[in-house]
Amino acid sequence: MLTHAPPPLGAPFGSADYVEGRPVRAIDVGGAMPAPEPMAFIDGIQRYAVEGRIGLVPIVRGYVAAAALRRERGELRVIDSGAQEFIVAPLRRLTADQRTALERSGLRLLDCMGAERSHPILDVQLAAKVVEHRRERIEIDVTRRTLVADPETWLVVDGSLAGIDDLSGDGATRILGLVKSHETQFLDGPDLEVALTLPAGHRTSVFARTAGQRATVYTWYLRLWPWEDHELLHGLVRIERPPTPDGVDEATSVSRWLLSERAPLSAPDSRWDRLVYPIQQVETYLRALAGGWW
Amino acid sequence: MSQTSGNAPVGRVVATETLPAGTHQFFFWSAIDTPIGIGAIVRVDDGAGRSVYAVVVDGKGYSDLASPLHEVVVAQGDPAGDRAPTRRTEVRLWTAAVLRQDPEEPVQPVPLADVRLATKEDVEVALRMDAYVRGERPTGIPIGVYRAGGLSAPVCMDADFLLGPESAHLNISGVSGLATKTSAVEFLLASIFQRLPAHKGSVAAVCFNVKGPDLCFLDQPGELTDADRELYAVLGIDPRPFDRVRYLAPFRADGVNLNTLRSHPDLVADVQPLVWGLREVLGFHEVLLNRDDIDAKADGFLDFLVDRVVEKEFRDEWGTTHRVQSFADLDRLFRAIFDGLEQAGRSDIWRTHHIATIRKVRNRLLNISTRCKGLVTDDGSVSDLPFGEFEDRTVYVLDVAGMDQVAQDLVFTRVVSTLREHLERRALGVDHVIVFVDELNKYAPGDGQDTYVRKMLLDISERGRYLGLVLFAAQQFRSQVHRRVVGNAGTVLFGRMDMDELATPGYQVLSPATKIKLATLPKGELMVRHPHFTQPVFVRFPRPAVMSGPTGTKRFPPSSDVSFEEAVVRQLTAMDRRIPAGRVRDLIAGRRDADVRRTLLATKRARPDDPFEYFRAALGPAVARERVAARREGVPLRSVEDPYAP
Repeated sequence: MLTHAPPPLGAPFGSADYVEGRPVRAIDVGGAMPAPEPMAFIDGIQRYAVEGRIGLVPIVRGYVAAAALRRERGELRVIDSGAQEFIVAPLRRLTADQRTALERSGLRLLDCMGAERSHPILDVQLAAKVVEHRRERIEIDVTRRTLVADPETWLVVDGSLAGIDDLSGDGATRILGLVKSHETQFLDGPDLEVALTLPAGHRTSVFARTAGQRATVYTWYLRLWPWEDHELLHGLVRIERPPTPDGVDEATSVSRWLLSERAPLSAPDSRWDRLVYPIQQVETYLRALAGGWW
Repeated sequence: MSQTSGNAPVGRVVATETLPAGTHQFFFWSAIDTPIGIGAIVRVDDGAGRSVYAVVVDGKGYSDLASPLHEVVVAQGDPAGDRAPTRRTEVRLWTAAVLRQDPEEPVQPVPLADVRLATKEDVEVALRMDAYVRGERPTGIPIGVYRAGGLSAPVCMDADFLLGPESAHLNISGVSGLATKTSAVEFLLASIFQRLPAHKGSVAAVCFNVKGPDLCFLDQPGELTDADRELYAVLGIDPRPFDRVRYLAPFRADGVNLNTLRSHPDLVADVQPLVWGLREVLGFHEVLLNRDDIDAKADGFLDFLVDRVVEKEFRDEWGTTHRVQSFADLDRLFRAIFDGLEQAGRSDIWRTHHIATIRKVRNRLLNISTRCKGLVTDDGSVSDLPFGEFEDRTVYVLDVAGMDQVAQDLVFTRVVSTLREHLERRALGVDHVIVFVDELNKYAPGDGQDTYVRKMLLDISERGRYLGLVLFAAQQFRSQVHRRVVGNAGTVLFGRMDMDELATPGYQVLSPATKIKLATLPKGELMVRHPHFTQPVFVRFPRPAVMSGPTGTKRFPPSSDVSFEEAVVRQLTAMDRRIPAGRVRDLIAGRRDADVRRTLLATKRARPDDPFEYFRAALGPAVARERVAARREGVPLRSVEDPYAP
């Protein structure tokens, strides 16, 4: 039971282009299939807290981290990670002395570009946006380093391939984005109905969506767990992949690999129906590193 | 297994609110592939000069699986289904019990630091052995080798706490048939004999062989493996059988064949008969006589006999002077009393004792020589342990395996009591004597009525250490032995244990993992509790360098019982193979068996250079038999019934 209206979605709709036939259809992928080895999993975390205020200006302390875990013979090992801690504030509303005092903390100062007028909630939201951006950046950094270190390894990134613009120059073809949230819908009408009512073990045909500023990515939905008796999005993930020549042909194979990732179950995490275990392990590792931020 | 190069950390201490690091217990995690196991000794340094030594007492492994149901769900109920591509994150979490903190004060929680496997030096410090294995007057007695992570370190006990005077006694428990209890004691005796320092004085051992041939071949070399020799080398002990072993065994009922499994012709010459007379056993009549039979009146009469009659000149009312030195003499005294009363035809009371009581005591006492035939003689012949002349580093084996329980009780009680008497007077010949007895639960049971044997064992266990009288006792079930007897054992060894036994209250202090390890302990491993060790420690000991009972009986098969004449011939020729059997047969032809038996006993006891000449001289010239006219039978007393006649 809910009591408040949920916050408005940032981008509820997007556009899509048919890639693998028209209209979108449900395809039985044929069950799980072992994923190739090695395979790497990348995720990031972000934490922030209002440490205090100088006058009305919120001083937000942020922490972001990302890590890549590589799986070989079933064992996950950390192969790359990074973390940053910083202070975010609307710097234009602080005096030079106040900035200097903040810099003495040893943490980097970031500007959240707050408006001229103070707003206790909006200022924090803007700072949070900065934190989120820093998290995306550190994820991209880790992803890039992993790609360079071992271009043959398949990478599974938690979330959409938001940084695909930055990665396109690295020849990233073996990278998959695993999207668990479905805030933005790229399909409409019967296509959307097919996607949201997929039976377990089925995927949609591949379609394309715009990602970042310029690039497009191939994407398709995959139902990991039956949704009947649950809500519509139960067990539903969306997979993103750079638009490679094999992108469509390999959609079924990739889907079968991801079906095999249903085990081990990531329960008791509330997102267990969409969160694959290795990604959860990246989160666990990052949370352990975060220490006091946990 | 992980390579632990040098002394690299093998774990790290963890502490949470629910699993805090305490002063006496802490938790640490290790890699999955680790040399750590139950019983491993570890060290934690705080980097500021404080070290904590501990022994691993429990271990757990678990993953991040929240519920087994989750595994069922993903496997869709099929255990043989596809394996998950990722192995769950798993942890090895160990519980360690603190052995020692250095410095000792202040006692503080264990630091949250790296955990390392103990080195050889660490083992010494952890078990406080550094106080007694080094220095000018070391007192370390090796008990076994501690092993973990490729390390083999000797573990020593403190002789002051094993043989007294600080504490003493050793108790060992373990299920039967796994060659642990007897083997461990044999090894430990060898260790004591070889490593007890001169400043601790002399020591001997008296072993009661209560079953089979277990202790019958201690002077014969046993078979050892290379692994055994390696253990002996680590412990600094020479793997050789005992240099000096004296065997004693009673005769069989025929009074001439020895009642022992060490009766092979090549070995039997070393076996000295164990024979006692009235004097030796009367002081222990409580062991032999049923307390239900011996009431206060009988007790009073027995006291009268002991105080006024036995070994004394005693003149009865009818003018006869008796000197009772044997059961035969005692029987003559009783007959004199009965005849005297009968001829006088008067009262049924003799010196305030009712004749029924006298008859009852007579029947019970004279029955002793029947029940303990072979051990107790009618004629007063004695062949005994060399009390007063015990030799240093000598094992005295009393083979009582073939005797019934009452006779075993008698032997045990009298020997231990006599040892005690001599030690009190410092007149045994050695400073310490170790008494080894198996099946302690029979002699000092935890329940049942109080017995003389149990009272004596209690006394030894509580006061023996001041005298140098040390009890090494073994039993299958410690819980069935009297608490004060086992409780006074300063050192306790455990071999493989029965799970039912481990479930008894006496083992509550052990962790579940330690109990499981005890229940599955392989041959040759022991858990040791010793006053210096604040936690039990697991060690491996080598096979004793002596021949085992089964091997011994296979290599030296016991001789079957032979005729009286043949037995005498064999025993004399075993003492000197040059003795012609025919001369022995000629010599004993027509002699009374009792005379021959007594002479043979004297010869074996004396161990002369020329056994035949000694035997011939002791037997004396043959005397022609003279027929004596039959004695007129007396008329029985009519007024007194004998309800106790056999």
